[in-house]
This record gives sequence, C-alpha cells and structure tokens, in this order.
Amino acid sequence: MEHSRPQWTGARVARVEDARLLSGRARYLDDLPLPGCLEVAFVRSPHAHARIRRIDPRLALAMPGVVAIWTFSDCPVRLLQSGVYPVGQPALADGEVRYVGEPVVAVFAADRYLAEDAAEAVEVDYEPLPAYVDLAAIVEHPDWAVHPPVDNRYVHREYATEGFDQAFAQAPHHLRVRFRTRRQTAVTLEPRGAAAVFDPASERLTFYASTQSPHRMRGDLAKFLGLPDHRVRVVVPEVGGGFGMKANTYPEDILVAWAALKLGRPVRWVSDRMESLLADAHARDDIHDVEVAFDGEGRIWAVADHLMADGGAYPGYPFSGAVGETGLAAQVLTGPYQIPHLKTTIDCVFSHKTPLGAYRGVWGPIASFVQEGIVDRVARAVGKDPAEVRRLQLIDQFPYRNPAGLVYDPGSYRDSMELALKAIDYDRWRDEQRRGWREGRYLGIGISVFVEPSAMAASESGSIPYEAATLRMEPSGKVTASLGLGPTGQGHETTMAQLIADALGIAVEDVVVLHGDTDSAPLGGGTGGSRSATIGGGAALTAAERLGEKVRRVAAHLLEADFEDVVLAQGQAYVRGVPSRALPLAEVARIAYTDVARLGPELEPGLEVTARYRPPLPMTFSNGTHVAVVEVDIETGLVKVLRYAVVNDCGTLINPQIVEGQIVGGVAQGVGSAFLEELAYSEDGQLTTTTLLDYRLPEATDVPPVEIQHLTTPSASLGGMKGMGEGSLIAAPAALVGAVNDALAPLEVWFSEIPITPEAIVRAVRRRAEAPR
Amino acid sequence: MKPAPFVYHRPRTVEEAVALLGLPACKVLAGGQSLVPLMNFRLSRPRHLVDINWLPGLDGVEWDPDQGRLRLGALVRHQVLATHPLVRRHLPVLAEAAGHIGHWAIRSRGTLGGSLAHADPAAELPAAMVALGARFCLRSQSGERWVDAGEFFQGLFTTVLAEDELLTAVEVSVDQSARWGFYEIARRVGDFALAGAYARRRGGVIDLTWFGVGPKPFTVELQAGEAEAALEQVLQTAAEDVAARQWAKVAAMRALQRAGR
Repeated sequence: MEHSRPQWTGARVARVEDARLLSGRARYLDDLPLPGCLEVAFVRSPHAHARIRRIDPRLALAMPGVVAIWTFSDCPVRLLQSGVYPVGQPALADGEVRYVGEPVVAVFAADRYLAEDAAEAVEVDYEPLPAYVDLAAIVEHPDWAVHPPVDNRYVHREYATEGFDQAFAQAPHHLRVRFRTRRQTAVTLEPRGAAAVFDPASERLTFYASTQSPHRMRGDLAKFLGLPDHRVRVVVPEVGGGFGMKANTYPEDILVAWAALKLGRPVRWVSDRMESLLADAHARDDIHDVEVAFDGEGRIWAVADHLMADGGAYPGYPFSGAVGETGLAAQVLTGPYQIPHLKTTIDCVFSHKTPLGAYRGVWGPIASFVQEGIVDRVARAVGKDPAEVRRLQLIDQFPYRNPAGLVYDPGSYRDSMELALKAIDYDRWRDEQRRGWREGRYLGIGISVFVEPSAMAASESGSIPYEAATLRMEPSGKVTASLGLGPTGQGHETTMAQLIADALGIAVEDVVVLHGDTDSAPLGGGTGGSRSATIGGGAALTAAERLGEKVRRVAAHLLEADFEDVVLAQGQAYVRGVPSRALPLAEVARIAYTDVARLGPELEPGLEVTARYRPPLPMTFSNGTHVAVVEVDIETGLVKVLRYAVVNDCGTLINPQIVEGQIVGGVAQGVGSAFLEELAYSEDGQLTTTTLLDYRLPEATDVPPVEIQHLTTPSASLGGMKGMGEGSLIAAPAALVGAVNDALAPLEVWFSEIPITPEAIVRAVRRRAEAPR
Repeated sequence: MKPAPFVYHRPRTVEEAVALLGLPACKVLAGGQSLVPLMNFRLSRPRHLVDINWLPGLDGVEWDPDQGRLRLGALVRHQVLATHPLVRRHLPVLAEAAGHIGHWAIRSRGTLGGSLAHADPAAELPAAMVALGARFCLRSQSGERWVDAGEFFQGLFTTVLAEDELLTAVEVSVDQSARWGFYEIARRVGDFALAGAYARRRGGVIDLTWFGVGPKPFTVELQAGEAEAALEQVLQTAAEDVAARQWAKVAAMRALQRAGR
C-alpha cells in the first residue's frame, strides 16, 4: 500500500463520457428545452462585396410567427479588439457587406421554419462592388482596401537572425519554392449555436454556448452587453467538437444574447451545415514563398520565408487566425532541425472572404508542410535519401534555442524518427518502391518529424497563463471537481478524474468532474492550444494535493497521529506502517462537515480547495514522427494510403487510449487536408463549396489503420504532461504530401500545394509525359 | 436549411397517385435522397409532395424465365438491387454498380425509379439502364407507355417523363451471351463519379456506356482490337478537359478489362 504509486494515471481507463455519447443520451445545446423560445434565421449576404442600399422587412414582418426583424441599428455592436486590430465585425452588416455569408438581418420567429420563410421575404437591395479574393493578388496590390482608409495589410512583421545574409549567400546551393495551403474549416459534428435566457427576477442572463472558452465568452458578453460579469452565466452543454473553430466569439453569439435581453424571451440559434461552411471561422489560406540555402551534403544553412495569409473580411474575435497561423509558423518554421539562420516576413491582409480563425494545429500543419517540403526538396536536390538528410540535422541537444528564439525543452526527435522508420519497415518499402517503379506502380514513403509547441501561456482560447480547479470532498468521501476548461470531446471528465483519484488514493468512479458552467467553475482559460492536460492537469493535481493535505490533517487529528505519517490510499486514511490504524475517507469527510466538534478548535470545517497552476515554462514541446506509405494511381490520380505509423512523445501519458484517439483523429483530418478539403471561391468571391457534397471530408474508408507507439520525455510541468491535441494534424499532411512526391519522383513531379487533387496529379503526370525530353 | 411550405399527400394506390400528379408544382417523393436536400436548400420548391412510398406493388424484383426478362419496381431500393439474389444472378453488373451508390443509409432509402427520374449525369443507375437496354413503364391517368432508356434521358437532369407521369417499373431483357464489366472512378467511396463506365462484350463487338462524362449517359460501339485508339477519338469531343478525358478513358479501359475476353 504505497500511496504515491499511480494506479490510474497511465492506465487505459474507459472514457466516462462514452456511455452517454455512444447511446445518444448526450444533451447538446439544441436539445435543451427552453419554453417560449424564439428561433433565429439570418439573412446572409449573397455578395462578396456590396453596398446595402435599402432593407425592407415589411412583408416578412407580417408573416405568421414572426416576432421581430433586426438590422444593425437594433444591435449596434462591433466585435472590435481595440488596440490590437483596426476594425471589428459588426453583429449585423452595417451598410456594407464584405463576404458571402455575412449576417445582414436577423429574423426572430416561433420556430426555425417560420423564421426561414420570413428571412426569404426580407428585401435587401444590394449594389455589388468589386471583390478582392485572391491572396497573391491582394498582397501585390497595396492599393486594394477592404476597409479604406485602413491599411489592408493589417499585420506586417520582419525578422532575421544576425548574420543571415552572409550565411545565405555563402551556401553552395539554393532553391525556391512557393507553398500554398487552401482554405479549410473544422466542420464540427455539432454545429455552432447559442441560446440565451434572461431572468428579470435575478437580473441575470444565462447564455448556453457551444464554446471552448466559457469564461472568455462570459467576459465578452459582459463587455458587449454592458452587463457586470456576475450577472452573466455561461453554460456549456455537451459540445460535439471545436478544433479551435469554437474558440471565437461570433456575431451570432452577441446577437442572440442581445435579443434575449431586448425581446424578453429565450432565443436560440443553431447553425445549419450551409451556414457552418459559410460563416464558421475558416483557416489555412496561406502562401509561403521560401528560399533555402544548403550544402552538397544536404545540410540546410538558412531559410527565408515570406509568409502571407488571407485573414478574410474582419479579424475574428478576439484573434485573427491569419495572425496565429503566420506569427507562430514563423517561429517554428525550422521544426525539429538545426537550421541556424532564418529570415521571415509576414503579411496578413484583408479580403472579401470569411474571417480566418483557428483550426486544430493553426500554424503547425502549414509550418510542417513547408519545413518537411524543404527537407524533401533538398534531399532530392542532393540525391540523398530523405531519412538520411533528416538525420544530418535533427536536434539532439536540449534545451535548444531555435533561430526564431523559441526554446525547446527536451524531446526525443532522433529516437522518434528511428523508431517510426523501424515500425514501418523503411528499407523494405524502399525496395518495394524500386520494384514497383519498374512495373509501373508508384509507391511513396513520406516522413514527417514534428514539433508541437503546447500548453502556451497564451493561446487562442484565452490569454491567461494558468488554469484553476475547485475540489470538494463531499460528506460521503466522494469528490466533486470543477474546472475552467472547455472540453469539446477530449475526455477531461476521465483524465482529470484519473489524476485526482491518484492524488487522493481513491477510485476514478469516486470523482465527478464538472466543467463548462461559469457559476460553478473557477475562472479558467478554456481548452485550446493543447493546454488542458498540462495546465488544467497541473491545476487538478495542485488542488488534489492541497485537498489531500486537508484530509490528512483531519485524519491525523482523529487518528492521533503525526500529519506527516498519514497516508491516503484505497479510500482510507491510515498511519504509515500501521494499516490497522485507518479511517475510511467517508468517515473523515462526515466528521469534517457534520461532526465538527471532533475537529478541535484549530481545524477548519469542510474539505474544499481552489487552486491555480502556472507551468514553469512559457510552453512545452511535444514531438514525434509520422511515416506514411502511399500508392498513387497515376492514371486516375487517386492516392491510397497503405501504411501509417506514428511515434508520439507527449511526456507523461494520463490515458494512452485517449492519446491514441487524438492521434487517429488528427491523421484523419490530415488526410482531409492533404487530399480532399478545400473551401473554394469563385473569382467574384462566391464560396462554391457550401455543402458536404462539395467540401469533402475524409471518410472511414479514406483513413488508414494508424500504428502508434509512444515515447515519454516528461515536461517540467507538474505531472510531466505535454500537450498533444494538435501534433497529429500538424504532422499528417506533410507525411502524406511527402509520400505522394516520393512516389512520383521518377516522373519529376512535385506538389507544394494542398490539397493534392486527382485532377492535379493527372495533369502533372500528363504534362510531364508530354514535355519534350 | 428548412424546406419552403408544401402540402404532403400520401396516396394508397397508383391510380390515386397519378391523379394527384395533376396538382400544380407537384413532385414525387420516393427515397428522397436527392429531392429532400434540394428542398432543404430551397432549390426545389414543390407546392405538393406526393409520397409514393406507401404504394403497394412497386418494390418487386421478378424474373420471367420465358422472356429472359427481369422486372424491377420503381421503389426497389439500391441496397436491394445490390444484394437481391435474382439481380445478382441475372444482372451481376447491375448489383455491382448499385453497391457503389452513396453509403448504406442512402442505399437503404434511395430508389431505382427515383434515381432514373432524377437523371443525375454522374449517377450509376441511369447509365446502367442505357447500357442494359432497359425500358421504363410510365403511368398517367390516361394509361401507360413504355420508353427505352436510351430515349428516356434527354440531358442534364432532364427526361421525357411528363409532369403527370409516374415511372412505375423497369424491364431488362438479359442477354446471356454478353460479358459485362463495370468501373467507377470517384474521389471517395460513395461519391458521385468523376467518370464511370459499363463495358459489354459480345463476340468482337464492344459497347461502352459512360456516366459522369457528358450531360447524360451515352454509348459507343467499337470493334475489339481497336478499342484504345478509338476511345481517344471518341472522348476528344465528349469531355472538355484533359483530366476528365483521361478519367473517361481509364474508366472505360478498366471496365473493358473486367468484362474479360
């Protein structure tokens, strides 16, 4: 009976969430019964750019069930992050529309059918104006402005290491590549939504949100509605996926809350799938113009990158995805490689497209795609095996300061690659590949060694550098924990319970983890940027240790033992070395609450603590390697993933099963990024992919079985966890693209734009076949 | 994404159903796998919806051994086409193609008649019917008429089906001497085709029927041995761009390969 030995941490504990999720008993925002609730339908802009000449709601107002029809003047709020961005999106378009799908008019009716009927009857007279849609063209035309007179290039940054120019010039070889990622969006299973109820008796607003950041949402509502924060309660029911997309506060959120106040009735809006594709945060609309300097061995001396991102019509609130994508990509562009010199130029511009926000990995999938593309190109240029060129320059000394100034804590960069290559049987596939090429089969192997900066003090979900947990041992000895996190499917109710159970020597089922209610949870930053396990877990551990201390003090008093000698294990407090001198925790807790005369004067009744945890480092780096084997059918352009191996190192594993679930999901999304998903715009700014027929998500049959192994290099944070929510999507597109390029090497075909479509492959192969030799 | 208001009708007999088809802006609801999404997008706005799912006798699969003919009711679901023993025995190529339609949930609802009346150029079944030389029974209040599949499809989502007519059945005469092959190129399992083809080999004569290539299914007859060269020629005009032509060619060549020698 050694209480410090973890029983639960590291075990494959079945997720406590799954029973309700898999049996259809989870309750999402749309399931909440809200008597008398009005539903909202939005009239959204059909134009990428137009002046609104006139809005006539008269016909619609007369329709059955319609209660109110609002334009900007009815909810004159702008989601402006002042001091950070020059403009903010109005809750409803104010005289001008700037992207297709922008909310223009809100129709409130008894149900969504009636609201949509009426929305159709609202007459809006638009005067179409020219739209700026193409990122490269926008960057080249500084005179094009989406918000004149505001500078359209709303972020511009330059950085270079000392001695960059010299190092770059002295290198024997150089190459240039333009990398392009196309627009994507998260496509959560549960769409966005909001519901609000104002209680005139308590003068409090209850806001039901499908968000990753309950407390930030509360702060935003308080600010825009002009309410004190203790009069706003944010409740987050079950959330069916967020992936960063639900880390924003959106115009629709403000509109729904405002309407509940003004109309005096509950109001709800749930996005449909078309609205999701139009108006959820988009992501990944980036260009990287890269120049690389290297030597004949394949050692990279210096990288210069002009990073451009199309931020859409407005900065998302409270952050612009374009800034997140480029700003952090510029800092991790050299990835796991010892590349001494770096020069970056960042340009974020406005366009007449949907605002850019976060999507899982944010900068990471783009940076990895660029970084691994660079290494593969260099390998090809010097005629070496891509694994060999990686071995030359993988980081093996820690802490490592990268050329952008980020300090990497220890990781297993080299080991992860070697283990992944072994797992996939690299040499055998190289043989297969050569044999295949002779027979007209195109097999390719792609390697992606990644770093994942995680648990950042500031992330998209909030800017607070800590997390908080309130723990209460109830009179029964069972524990209720309340955290400020905003899980969207990650299984925190299981993992946090595992940490707490071990710290208190109780069973996982004796811990209930609450989250997503600002009335019960201490203020927290929410979930995003892979911060929950590390920072939230640290808070859970800190609170559990302090609660344990309280319990031990009470037990020591009752057992007439020294505090230092009291141990918690198996639901009991006992005296070390004397297992017979023990009290069940239920007894300790009962006394602490209800038999307080026995506590003596010096002990405080009750067993409840709130603790906050700040990690010692500004971030911790997970790492790992993905290796993909693909077969390209050069006649059809279709790609099949034959094998997929992952070696992942995220420090201490709380629950390997949950970690592996995260990895498989990220690989699935990586398949989408590499081959399928694109939000396509026409030249005049119409989004042409507004259904899941056109916006292709990976299906089960597209996702290969993923073979996973773990390495464990603990972080310096309490518990040793590192964040790992994004690494698999950071790594996967690069591995898959690398594999396709590797397969087509004999044809000298090279892709540096994703998604790689069958059409692109067919065209490239034909072009090559028809080119004069 | 809610449909515009409509009146819902649930007739119990074919006679009742075709009588309702005279109503203004009327649409037939069968499996609803294309119509319902279109209505939800308000791209289709029927004022009257006639639900034929409750009509008796339209979901049969019958083999007539004397005529060597398979008769399929309009309400036969794709999943039934894909798995029914009679279809698998007499028209295995049709069963195979039906298995490529959408996913299980779509196949369990979607109907043969619905797919044919909808006439999506990238769908599997209209081209199958053209390739198989099927004929369709069209019922109206004034009686019934039979139309060959080759004449039924007029163009993009367009057929000869009149507004007051209901497609009730399909008949296919089975040619025991023919060898069949099917191949479809799609981005993902269950997607509409980038290109697909049926190949029929009878002695030295090859018939190729494409879907996902032009505005409607079309057939080309070739002599064995000249196939590949002739294909290039045919497809020059059929598909507008390099990739589409390539897919059309590859689908045909692979279908032909599957038809065997």
